[in-house]
This record gives sequence, C-alpha cells and structure tokens, in this order.
Amino acid sequence: MRMTMKERWEIVPIDLAEPLLELSGEDNCSGVRAVFFWRGIPLGHCQFAMAQLPLSPQQVATVAARVTAQAIGDYVLAAGFQSALPGLPEPSPINPEQALAHLAEVERPVSRLAQAAPASPRTSSVTVSVAVCTHERPGELVRCLKSLTRLSERPKEILVIDNAPVSDVTREIVARFPGVQYHCEPRAGLSAARNAALAIASGDIVAFTDDDVFVHPDWVTRIQGCFDNEKVMVATGLVLPAELESRAQLMFEQDFQFFHQGYRRRYLDSAYFEAMRSKGVPVWSLGAGANMAIRRAAYERGFAFDTRLGPGVFGGCGEDSEFWYRILAAGWSCVYEPSACVFHYHRRELSALRHQVYEYMKGHVAALILQFAKTGHTGNLRRLVLALPKEYLLLFLRLIVTGFPAENRILLRGALGCFSGLRFAFRCRQEQVATQ
Amino acid sequence: MWAKAEQRYQIIELEVTRPLPLFTVPPATTGLAFVVRLKDRPVGFFMLALPEGAQLDPEELATKVLKHAGKQILSEQIYEELKESRDYPSLPPLDIAICTHGRPDALARCLRRLQELGVAASPRTRVLVIDNAPPDNRTALLMQAFPDVEYVIEPRPGLDFARNRAIEVATGELLAFLDDDVVIDRSWLDGLREAWASSPDAGAFAGPILPMELETRAQVVFEQMGGFGKGFERVRFADVLPESPTYPVGAGVFGAGANMVFRRDVLRRLGGFDNALDTGAPLPGGGDLDMFYRVVQAGYPLVREPSLLVYHQHRREYAKLRHQMWTWGLGTMAYITKSWRSDPLDRPKIRRWLLWWLSYQLSKVLVPFLRSNRARWPFDLVMAEIFGGIVGLCGEYDRSLVRVERIQKEQCA
Repeated sequence: MRMTMKERWEIVPIDLAEPLLELSGEDNCSGVRAVFFWRGIPLGHCQFAMAQLPLSPQQVATVAARVTAQAIGDYVLAAGFQSALPGLPEPSPINPEQALAHLAEVERPVSRLAQAAPASPRTSSVTVSVAVCTHERPGELVRCLKSLTRLSERPKEILVIDNAPVSDVTREIVARFPGVQYHCEPRAGLSAARNAALAIASGDIVAFTDDDVFVHPDWVTRIQGCFDNEKVMVATGLVLPAELESRAQLMFEQDFQFFHQGYRRRYLDSAYFEAMRSKGVPVWSLGAGANMAIRRAAYERGFAFDTRLGPGVFGGCGEDSEFWYRILAAGWSCVYEPSACVFHYHRRELSALRHQVYEYMKGHVAALILQFAKTGHTGNLRRLVLALPKEYLLLFLRLIVTGFPAENRILLRGALGCFSGLRFAFRCRQEQVATQ
Repeated sequence: MWAKAEQRYQIIELEVTRPLPLFTVPPATTGLAFVVRLKDRPVGFFMLALPEGAQLDPEELATKVLKHAGKQILSEQIYEELKESRDYPSLPPLDIAICTHGRPDALARCLRRLQELGVAASPRTRVLVIDNAPPDNRTALLMQAFPDVEYVIEPRPGLDFARNRAIEVATGELLAFLDDDVVIDRSWLDGLREAWASSPDAGAFAGPILPMELETRAQVVFEQMGGFGKGFERVRFADVLPESPTYPVGAGVFGAGANMVFRRDVLRRLGGFDNALDTGAPLPGGGDLDMFYRVVQAGYPLVREPSLLVYHQHRREYAKLRHQMWTWGLGTMAYITKSWRSDPLDRPKIRRWLLWWLSYQLSKVLVPFLRSNRARWPFDLVMAEIFGGIVGLCGEYDRSLVRVERIQKEQCA
C-alpha cells in the first residue's frame, strides 16, 4: 500500500552492550527505525513497518546480527571487512587464509568491540574548537548548543559564527550559553563563515557542525582521535537522521542517501586520489559539512573554503567537497569516522526537499567546474559530461518502469539543478573580466 | 545449435573452523562447488570454474570464502552471542509429507536419508508419502521396506491434490513438504527447531535448496543462473517490507516448494493449496508461491532459516531444463493471474511487479552485451521463461481451472 504523505517513523536506538528487549512501535507511527549502537558507536540500522512488530528479543538479535556484521567485522577483525573506498571495489585481504582463520575463530565478536573500539577514547593531545555556523535559525541553534553542553569532554572552545545576520536573535541566544563565544561574519555565505571560524579558532582542529543538528556526547573525542595521524587534515563523521516525521525526511534518508556514508571507517589518501583522478574523485562520498573537522594547520598553509561556492552564495553544497578535493590533491589525507556521529533534522516539507535536491546538484556541478579550473584534472569533466548524464539517463529509464512515483520525480529536479550549476562557469568568467 | 561442451562440478563441503586443504580438480571436471559450513551450520555456497587438474591453493580459496560467505560467518557468530538462550523448547509434533509420482528410486533415497538422520523414527515426527496418481505399483512395493512411513494414495493427478491430501492426513502441528527428488541436510531438523523457537508465531518456514549433484551441463547452468533460493541470511518476512515496493508479489524471495514447512492450522484456515496450480504436466508450478503469498498476505510471518537446508537433484538433460524454465514462467504467471483476481487492492503492485519481471528477463539477455563482466545467461533458457510467462498470462489459469474441474468430475464418477 502506498503510504499517504503523512508518514512517521519512530527512531529507536538499541545498545547491543545491554540485554536486548522486545521491539515495538508507538500506535500512531508507520513503523520503527532501529539503530544499533554499541556504547555509543553506531553499527547499523533496520526499518520495520508496524505490521512486522512487535519483535521478540531473539528476533531483534537476528536482525542485529545481519545489519551490524560488516561494521563489527571492520572494528574487530584486522582484515576482510574493510569498507570499499568510493568508486573502488571491496579490498581483498593481503593474507586471506589468516583473515578467514581469525574470522572463523572469533568468539563473541560483540564483546570484543570493548578492546577494538574503546568506549572512552584515550585523551588525544590535539585541542579542539567547535564551530557552529548559523543564519537566523534561533530554535535550531538552541537545540544544537544544548547538545554541545552535554559533550563527554569539553572542547577548548565553542564558537558560534553568525553569518550575515539581519537581527540580534543569534547574539541573544549565545549570551544565554556561558562559555560559548559569539562571532559575527558579515560576508554572506557558509564558506565565509567557516573561513572566519578557521581564522579565529585557537584549537589545533576545528570541528564544524550545522545549526540544524545535535551532536552525540562522544562526538568531539571520537573525531579528535582521527588527527593523531599527522597526514590527516580533514575528518568527517556519520550523519544520522534526528527524526523521520514526514515523507520528505524519509526520502532524504532512505531513497537519496545524501548524508549516510555507512558504518565503516574509510581512509582516503593521495594514493587513492591518484587512482581515481582520471575518473573523477568522488570526494562528495566522504561525508557532509554538517559533521567535519579540519586541522587548522591546513588553513595556515593556505587552504580555505572557496567563497564563490556554498549555501548563501551559489548552490546548496559543494564548498565542503571542493575543499576536500584540494586537500587530497595536495597529498594530505581525509578520514571518514562513523563513530563520530551527529543527528541531522532533514527538511520536513516536500517542497523544501525539492528545492534542496536542486540546490545540491547545482552546487555539485559548480564544484566540479571549480575543481577542474583549479587543478586541471579532467576527471571532473568526465564526471560532468559522461557520468552525470548517464546517471540521469538510467534514472529516467527506471522511472519509466516504475511509473514515475512522486519520490523519484524529485530526483529529476536535480537534473535541472545541474544545468543551473553550469551557469557558475559563466559567472566566474564575468567576475574575472570585471576584475581585470 | 545449443550443443555445448559438457560440464561437471565436484561439490565439496568446507568447514571453515578447520585449516583449508589444497584441492586438485579431478579429471573430467570443469569446476568445484563449495558448501561452506561454520561449526557444521551451513553459511554459504559458491561455484568456481576451474580447468581439469588445476590446483586451488588455500589462499585463493580463503579469498573466495571470505567474499561469498564472510559476512554470513560473522553474522552467525554475532547471532550466537546476542540471542538469549541456547536450549530450545522441543519441536511440536511434525509431519513430513513427501509427494511423489512414479519416481521410486528418488523417493527411496529421500526416505533413507530421513531414516539415517533419525528423523523418521522420532516419536513426535511422522513421515507421510503421498503417492500421486501412481502409474504402477513400484512405489507401493518400495513402501514395504519403510514400515514406519505412512503411505497414502491420492488418485487425482496434480501436486496440489497430493499436498491437500497431506493436510487432511497429517495430525501434527507442523507440516513439512519435501519433493521426492531432494535429500535433507543433517542440520535440517535443528534448523527447523531454531526457526520455530525464534518465531513460534510464523505461518511458514523455508530454507535454501542446494544442488545434490552437478554432473551435467544442464545442472551446472541452472545453478549458475541462481538455481533455487540460496539465501543464507536469517529473515523474518511479514506482510510488508518497507524497502521493496512490490513485496510480497512474486513471492520468489521466500523459497520453493521442494523445501517448505507450514503450521497446519494456517494451511487449513487458508483452505489449502490451490488445486488449479501445480497440476502436473500441463501446469507444473506456482502452487508453492501462491501458498507463501497467501500465508504472508493473511498476516502470518514467514521465516527463512539457513540451516533448513535440502539438496535437490536438478534436471540432468538440457531439454528438460529448458522445459523447466518454461514452466517457471508459466506457473509464476498463472499464480500472478490468480492474485490479480483475488487481491484487487494489490493490483498496482502486481502491475509494477510485472514490469519489473519483464525488464529483469530482458536484462538477462541484454546486460551481458553491455557489461562484459556479467555472466551470460543462455539465451534459449531466458526466452523459454519469457514465453512461458506470456502463455501463463494468456489465460493459463483459466485453462487449468477447466482441467481441474474435469479431473474432479472424473473422480466422482
């Protein structure tokens, strides 16, 4: 049965370190999304319609075993369960015989997470500044700041960057949170706001999050751990849905998967970059700007967000991935660390989602153009003229078979966004002419 | 035109907790097939095409095992750790019905296996043989060697007549159906116990069906194309599956009739199998899918359990395989026609499923030309299934209803 537009999925966190309980849903919801954790480390999820519930503890165990196996394998075993890097096939272990022997012998793998992924991460020597960039969203900002006061380890500082404010509301809110610093950035655009944070922060790394997010208490400690490796300049984390209260939110999370990059760690280095360069490096698969940390040394070396891109200037994204692209191109590494997780409130209305898809693709295309312009890597053009049109052609064919359901029509909006993104090239050209 | 080189695979059981040996491909063999087990529980199956006399070293084998069964091996261990108790309540009384038609040799093999594993002799388990429209008395004679087994003759020809007879004769709470050309795995009964303990509310249980032998090209090709369901994941299906828009139409995800277990009261409540499906030679197939579909539609969970494993003897002759693919198309579409009539609410789903089916069949033919890394499906087999499907859609269910009506009348007369 096709659900009506009113759809509500209850999100139920399940800690595998505790005895499992019966899983049931509230009466007025379409179903339950169970998210499996082990002491705060996300491992997998599964969605159940109301008709599938309730589930006995043993049935929950069956599902948990199925959806968490890969993540648990990645944490507990040395080889055999590493995530494939975006665009590349699954890596096969160097010593498969030993990997299989370890796998066959691993008794009680869940308990082994205690050694493999420490529940209280060791204190790292790097200091952290947390930065929240916001623009006139008081309600969301309060929620975000509240979650930041509950962090298991206090960061060195918490900065709120008020981007091109039109009222005093953000300043007033920040004043209510002692220890949170307010900074105003009059130049419009998320890129400008993030650069301002990088300029004024005093920590070794700056952990960025958005105002429409709340963070996990261990977020800072987990993301901090990534920077023990000197080569790492950027770390991103998992973005989980904070609520699934409407069809639009469900589509964003389940059908489009813009944010979700899986429950296994990924390490992208210059070798990966070189391997993918000719095809176009899928940097956007690294994560989302709503959950990323940057080593301030990168900013000191001249890496900053391009202020021609990003929300508030051009397109709905792209400024983050374009930054990562340059970091990787310069020989540094990026890490995706799913245990550092935040919870994002997706757009509730379909109209907002439609606009978002449009803006995302617009920003994506602009970022590709900019990446090509800055580095001359033709892989970006390849993505632009071959891969993207092919993707949309296949999508179109699939839509013919499925009879153009509403949720997929929204994806076609993205194609319009792509065309709009092409305008970016002309815009840059004009600016260039103007400055000359 | 379709005469191709003969193929033969050796089937090997592989216990992953023991060190992997070095395998040499025996003479006149074109590959190896592995049934992967973890502490004796089945966790995976895969096939490797290898030249005769080639050696498969443990390193390469380990890579393949990790690729095909790695996730399931770890899932099993996580499940063992998370599930609360290991001691299960004993199974309720169980009847195992084997419907057979003129294949005493296969039947003897199936029954002997049940005896060896002690399934036939257990006090709470009873084995029934339903002899469907026997062409001779060979099956009856065979039964003298199996005094524990109850022998029933169902004169009306048609597998679903026989299955419905089993429902009448059975007395247990659970009723298992096995084809005469299968043998059960040693873990079969434990698998059923496991599935029953985890989901006592389930209406049906199904499990993987692996090849008993891969001695001819037809058997190898059939298995390479996917064979019967080989999913080794534990899944509890309900009448909705949030991620699939056409579920449960198609019903192919559940399992197949060669290996299925039902709660008998559920079968009775649903009125038994549809006699117009699975009518032997004219329309062999569809009755199992129809039953799975109706069980799930009626709101009973259906559980797939990897240890509920049987081995099936596939068709040895290529022409028979082609005929089987044709009957798959035919039977599936006859069942779809029936669902279309009985479930007006599900029609949009069925329409969508039909489109999916057609594009899936076409992709089997076309995709290998577009992507060289994909296995090539024999063109004639795909076409046989497509044509079977088209014939099935064009009134096959009605023709079958007429035939069944006639059989009923003849019996009454």
